[in-house]
Amino acid sequence: MELQVQLLINTLQIGSVYVLFALGLTLIFGVMKIVNFAHGTFFTAAALVVSTVMSVSVETAGLPIWFSYLIAFTLALLIVCMIGFVVYFFGFQYVLKDLNGSFILSIGLLLLLNGTYLILYGGVPRSIPDVVPGNISLFGASLTIQRLLLIIVAAIITIGLYQLVHRTKLGLSLRAVAEDQEAAMLQGIPFRRVAFYGFLIGATLAACAGALMATVTPVTTVIGDDFLVKAFIIIIIGGLGSVLGAILGGLLIALIESFGGYYFDPSTATLAMFVLVVVLLIVRPQGILGHAER
Amino acid sequence: MLKGNQGLILCILIAIGAICFALFSGDPYYAQVVIWVFTNAALAVTLRFVLLIGELNIATAAFFGIGAYTTAVASTILGWPFFISLLAAPAIAGLISALFGWITLRTKGPYFLLISFAFTEIVRLIYTRTDALGGNSGMIGMFPPIELDTYFPAIAITILAAILFGLYAVERSNLGRVFKAIQNNEDIPRSVGLNVIGLKILCFVIASTAVGLAGGVHAYTNNVIAPADFTYFVAVLALAYVKIGGEGHIIGPIIGATILTIAGQFLHSFGPYENIFYGAIIIGALLLVPGGIVGLGERIKAGTLIGRAER
Amino acid sequence: MSKKKIIGMTGGALLALFSAQTAFADEILKVGISAPMSGAAAAWGLGFEYAAEQAVEKINSEGGIKAGGETYMLELHSYDNKYNAAEGAKTAQTMLNRENINFIVGSIGTAPVKATQALSERKGAILFNTGWGKSIKGPKYPLTFTQMNTPFEILAPFYGYVKEQHPDAKTVAMITPNDATGQELEPVAVDTWADLNVEVITNDKYERGTTEFQSIATKIANSNADIVDFGASPPTDVGSMLKALDVLGWNGIKVVPAGTSAGTLSKMAGAAAEGTYLGASADFTGDSASDVQRELNTGAMEKLGEALNGITISSYDAVMALKKAIETADSVEPKEVAKVIPTIVFESSYGPAAFGGAEVYGNPQQILVPVMITQLRDGKAVEVGRIAPAELKERLK
Repeated sequence: MELQVQLLINTLQIGSVYVLFALGLTLIFGVMKIVNFAHGTFFTAAALVVSTVMSVSVETAGLPIWFSYLIAFTLALLIVCMIGFVVYFFGFQYVLKDLNGSFILSIGLLLLLNGTYLILYGGVPRSIPDVVPGNISLFGASLTIQRLLLIIVAAIITIGLYQLVHRTKLGLSLRAVAEDQEAAMLQGIPFRRVAFYGFLIGATLAACAGALMATVTPVTTVIGDDFLVKAFIIIIIGGLGSVLGAILGGLLIALIESFGGYYFDPSTATLAMFVLVVVLLIVRPQGILGHAER
Repeated sequence: MLKGNQGLILCILIAIGAICFALFSGDPYYAQVVIWVFTNAALAVTLRFVLLIGELNIATAAFFGIGAYTTAVASTILGWPFFISLLAAPAIAGLISALFGWITLRTKGPYFLLISFAFTEIVRLIYTRTDALGGNSGMIGMFPPIELDTYFPAIAITILAAILFGLYAVERSNLGRVFKAIQNNEDIPRSVGLNVIGLKILCFVIASTAVGLAGGVHAYTNNVIAPADFTYFVAVLALAYVKIGGEGHIIGPIIGATILTIAGQFLHSFGPYENIFYGAIIIGALLLVPGGIVGLGERIKAGTLIGRAER
Repeated sequence: MSKKKIIGMTGGALLALFSAQTAFADEILKVGISAPMSGAAAAWGLGFEYAAEQAVEKINSEGGIKAGGETYMLELHSYDNKYNAAEGAKTAQTMLNRENINFIVGSIGTAPVKATQALSERKGAILFNTGWGKSIKGPKYPLTFTQMNTPFEILAPFYGYVKEQHPDAKTVAMITPNDATGQELEPVAVDTWADLNVEVITNDKYERGTTEFQSIATKIANSNADIVDFGASPPTDVGSMLKALDVLGWNGIKVVPAGTSAGTLSKMAGAAAEGTYLGASADFTGDSASDVQRELNTGAMEKLGEALNGITISSYDAVMALKKAIETADSVEPKEVAKVIPTIVFESSYGPAAFGGAEVYGNPQQILVPVMITQLRDGKAVEVGRIAPAELKERLK
């Protein structure tokens, strides 16, 4: 029993970051109907900022770790929002609803940004000191307090987003535009502005995921890439554009990775995920909770 | 832009020129560069071919790899002669693509894009886990027979050029027009009784068979292949060639491939700058010159160079 | 060209100009390296290039290489092979056919090395490589030489030492990446452990690029093996796994045969890395390192921010070996030089070294340098064993 609990806890740990990351991606797709291959770069940027700022403020300025982390987290979000703004204003707003065009643009961005990160940050991985040190035992399974906090914070953000999407006016606009853009515009919803907000929210979510991830993994310029592929799998399974779907999908993928990785091996688990996706796309392309295409 | 038979004759002359260069120049490096240009052109053109039915096909990379691995297995494990090994590539690629297309072409747009992406990764993961195919180290030893060694570049270029011309011929035929009609609005061809899904599969199979043959040639060109050579990124690069050269005409991807392959040769020691360069070019081409170089040419011809072209 | 290369070459050229009296009569001898200079393995390629640059500058400042009545100044050309076969083939074409380089003094990455080898053997150029497979050497590839220790050299003395220190250890859990290096290492490791009566009870591979090691750590912890063997996993991954294992309360013997960077390991895993044995970590800052190695390492730290390891320093050794071989053969003809390499004793960064290994590989194409076994104590790699290959001891007598 202890083993299963441990594996479940692992699932939660892995899953919380996946969910945040996938939420942003699915939101962007849902509202703007674009496949953003550069989503990982927001994630990476946040992690890079956190690791850089932390090493400066802790080692140089000697500020307490938790304080530095808060500063770093905030800075990361700000910088990613700026990048998101630039990228949207100069690029994505011209390719809204154009699948191929947006895909190509995002690929170009991915190359450009990854190259830039490598030059600015270098190839050496850096990890940050534990914000909250120590381990904890939960129902017989152990994990670091850090990771427990990660799960909690991710859950809070996720709930927050869900409330945003389902309870606020902005959320209503986002959902309306995602379901039927023309009808939404007929109702007076400013599509371009809503799309912009949607994009920024998506980027911010990725940034949160990245900033949180930096606390538990060594940071390099390529960490976003592995997440990106898994994130696409998640949002396909959950349904392109569905918030709840992204949450379920994220947890499902984390489950496969955790249990599959244990009972078989990590390589097999990855392969299984891809096969699952192909099967699902053929049998039920809209995923578990997505809208069927007209 | 040269239209009609003038352009075609020019291209034939260029192809013949390339073949002669490969035969007589005696400089193995430049002959290789020409082969790479043609290989990348083939990748770009086959990707664009599936764009004719409106689908962005990442699996181009997968079938390129399937072709390469087929030839590698045929030549090094089964010991088949050179031309048979080469011909096995498009045969196997074609068969697999028919099956794959039949299963997946019912989906469209982003779903097909993502399936083709997932398929490419699955195939690549299978290579890395199959020891018989060399696992992660890949396969080595695909050498053309000694008698043909000096002629190999010319042979390679001839085959690749044939692929390009062949696809052009299909595009110009009635079949090509039907494909474009499907891209426009697939209900219309369906309403006149055409088997739309069958035609989509046909288009896909033609493109995959062509790129499979290019993969076979690639195996003999590099003598070594490995799974990392066939990631989705290959298709991404092909897409870049198409976008920069221009989707409007088959010469577009060829131009794009030529420019970027040659530029790539000079960027080798640049590491991260190479990525930045490619990224910037793709973004620039997409936003500023959406029709690519072909589109630019048409605008010049029509005298409407200034001002954004319509997407 | 990269900035580094231009500086290196200009520096070398200037030194050559100012040092040799017969500067205007000097010939240029181009040497090349093929390594990943971008992407995840960039740190290796850059360190590799640095070590080679230092060797080239040293030789040029001391008057170059004299052979066949001519004096040759070395000129280093580095190429980014992006750690894959296709780029390896392209850079090989550029090096061998465009630049007409006859001596490749270093190559990293099994797939690109094989792609390069296909061309270099046909063209008649010498190829030094860091490849770990047995199949890369042998009578079929007379011009290929391996410039650092491979599992065949490292594992037996390394595992033997560990078993000596922990005679009660009977089981081992293996985890290694699913890439070329991992695939070459794993069978050798399993056999070597078996020879020592240690059983491999779990044996797993993970995809490079994985960031979450929880499931792997859980599996290892649950196996209750005495030893965990991280195979060819890079230091950052090992660090993450060690941290995860520590959280789960696992406390056994930790072994990293391909462990190349004790510093990174210690930074990543902190106290969880204590006591880890490393097989390729050559600590170049400690007392057991030679003066040459310490100097090279300090320079690399300053310039690149990353210490050198057993892989990256090997380009220095290859260049030194090449110099001695060319002078002994009194020729810059690759085939002549290759014939002479197995006979020379030259000053590598470790001290006197030679090439051998005919028994294992069929041809004496393997460099013979000491296997350095280090253990992480208090965050620093302490050398606990340095085992010189028996063949080297014979040659140095």
